[in-house]
Amino acid sequence: MLNSLIAGLTSGGVYALLGLCVVLTYRLVAVVNFAMAATGAVGAYVMVSLIGVGVHGALALAAGVVAGAALSALVGAILVRWFGEHSERTKAAVTVALYVAVMAIGLRVFGSATTGTRRFPAPLDGPAFVLGDVVVPVSTLVSLAFAALITAGVGLLFSRTLLGLRLQALSERPTTAQVVGIAVPRLAMAVWAVIGGLSTLVIVLVAPRLGGDFATLGNLITTALAVAMVGAFRSLPMTLAGGLILGLLEGVAVSLSGLQADRGVVPFLVILVLLWWRSRNEVWDTAHTR
Amino acid sequence: MELSHRLAAALGAAALALAGCAADGGTDGPIKVGSINGVTGQFQAPEVPKAVQAVFDEVNAAGGIGGRKIEFISKDDAMNPQRSTEAAVELIESEGVVALVGSSSAVDCGLNRAKYGSAGIVSIPAVGVDPACFTSPNIAPVNPGPYKLLTAALYFLSQTKKHEKVCAYLTVLPGSGDGIENAIKEWSTVTGKQLTVKETSVGTGDPTPYLVKAKEAGCAGIVYNSQVGPWFAQAKTQGMTAVDFAMLANSYTDANAQAIPEGLNVYSATEWQPYTDESLPGNDRWAKIVGAKGIPKTAFSQGAVMAADVFVQVLKGIQGPITRESVTKAFKEMKPVDYPMVGTPYVFGPGDAHNPVEGARFVKAENRAWRVLPEGFVIPGKG
Repeated sequence: MLNSLIAGLTSGGVYALLGLCVVLTYRLVAVVNFAMAATGAVGAYVMVSLIGVGVHGALALAAGVVAGAALSALVGAILVRWFGEHSERTKAAVTVALYVAVMAIGLRVFGSATTGTRRFPAPLDGPAFVLGDVVVPVSTLVSLAFAALITAGVGLLFSRTLLGLRLQALSERPTTAQVVGIAVPRLAMAVWAVIGGLSTLVIVLVAPRLGGDFATLGNLITTALAVAMVGAFRSLPMTLAGGLILGLLEGVAVSLSGLQADRGVVPFLVILVLLWWRSRNEVWDTAHTR
Repeated sequence: MELSHRLAAALGAAALALAGCAADGGTDGPIKVGSINGVTGQFQAPEVPKAVQAVFDEVNAAGGIGGRKIEFISKDDAMNPQRSTEAAVELIESEGVVALVGSSSAVDCGLNRAKYGSAGIVSIPAVGVDPACFTSPNIAPVNPGPYKLLTAALYFLSQTKKHEKVCAYLTVLPGSGDGIENAIKEWSTVTGKQLTVKETSVGTGDPTPYLVKAKEAGCAGIVYNSQVGPWFAQAKTQGMTAVDFAMLANSYTDANAQAIPEGLNVYSATEWQPYTDESLPGNDRWAKIVGAKGIPKTAFSQGAVMAADVFVQVLKGIQGPITRESVTKAFKEMKPVDYPMVGTPYVFGPGDAHNPVEGARFVKAENRAWRVLPEGFVIPGKG
């Protein structure tokens, strides 16, 4: 039981990273981006494909990040240009459509689970230390540190910098922001590109643990959304905690034989409970800001 | 009300009669043969219809069967149930095919078995995955399929590798649970052994908790059939270098050999003679046929060539006109066909369920490629 808990916890960092990407996008550009993982998967596959033809790892990673950023900027351009004044729901629906498109094209280009499995470089998978029967690799610590860095860094960005202020304005009142002289479309595109690059990095980091083929990586969006829900799409620290909780729950589910068959369902049940718990004191009709 | 029922019945009968005409009409035109394949979508094997076509091209170039050419019509269902059903109806009703040869859709058998039964047509899939492919009166695939292979993989770990503690970490698709249970039972009956750990709900997500549990339980041999990349990357991280992992045929791909880290003992069961070694018995013919047309040399194209070859052989033995009825009769009454690419002879036969081919050969992942193990086919209970 203890071993399973520790084993589950080692994946908390990667789950948290996925969730943080979604929450970050939502806070920056006010879009629930269903295409996030698929975009990152395209970047990651550009990287492994380049490595496959002999390109140096660092160079390939840079190219992958640029590809992810470019694709994300394209998604952003579509949303900013054609759906800028539409509601969040419409924008989310647009990203669902884009997710389907990216997945379909990606499956064609990069292959399915049988033909497109790739070995993702895992330079950080050497053991850091052993806890019980569980070997904890360096990558676990790196994921956790990366997640903590994003959580703290973005928190500081929002609260302490002018750029952060502009980003919040962009997210919450884009039209007003434009009126007061913020170059909204350009800033939004830049944000989308950065998110795309970040998503690529995250997917590259989680791939050795969570998926070696394009479809699985692109579909990590469901896990990401589940984790983001714990933070209610708002709180970065809660999202970080959500990742750790999800990892723990998976560990528990594996160790309890009665729960094994329902391993996939348990996290979502708990998220439902969490959502209910968070909303228990809320009153209908109070202003629900993001 | 009564009248409209009668009218409907009459129309239905007329339609059936017309369909019957289409099916039996051509005893001098080409012999129409159909198949339902996943060419696009989640489960893709576009090489299957191409390889079947290649065999029929060869037959046609040599003059066909009794002077009649074989016309092959493959429908892509993209693993979409509706398209699969429509494809079967179209092939059987409109095209009037005499049989289905070399199907490789993941959904075809389950959806269309009743249709095949009522139309009195046989299907000889190149690749049967769905349990319905092995439990239907009118379907008999040329591959051993996941259940026979699972039994063989367990047998390989417990008998060939002589492990006492054998564990199973499997992803069970909806509807295949009974098949898996029976396959494990068959292994227990033959060997008198029980699984140390049986986990049948391995899904996506981090595999580390499963691996840690396997370590705790002391599993020395593990049968595994799910996602390759993360499982073995994390098995390596967890230091499981002394464990023998055996996977099933769906994992036997070049891409997976590339994805398995060095230093682990990872084997895969193969349904036909391993395609990565063209010098193995039976592979020479297959390699020549698909090689000439630039068709990918995969296990799927092996199944396609075998299905087409078996079909042609049975067809050649038919006395009199080749129709749907005579083809179905010939398959139900056929003698076993020795085909060197598989472990046991292929036979369709009269039964209500068909899983004629048994046994598996094993390959080992070494240096990013699959090496064929020298032992021949491992057939549970037969050495």
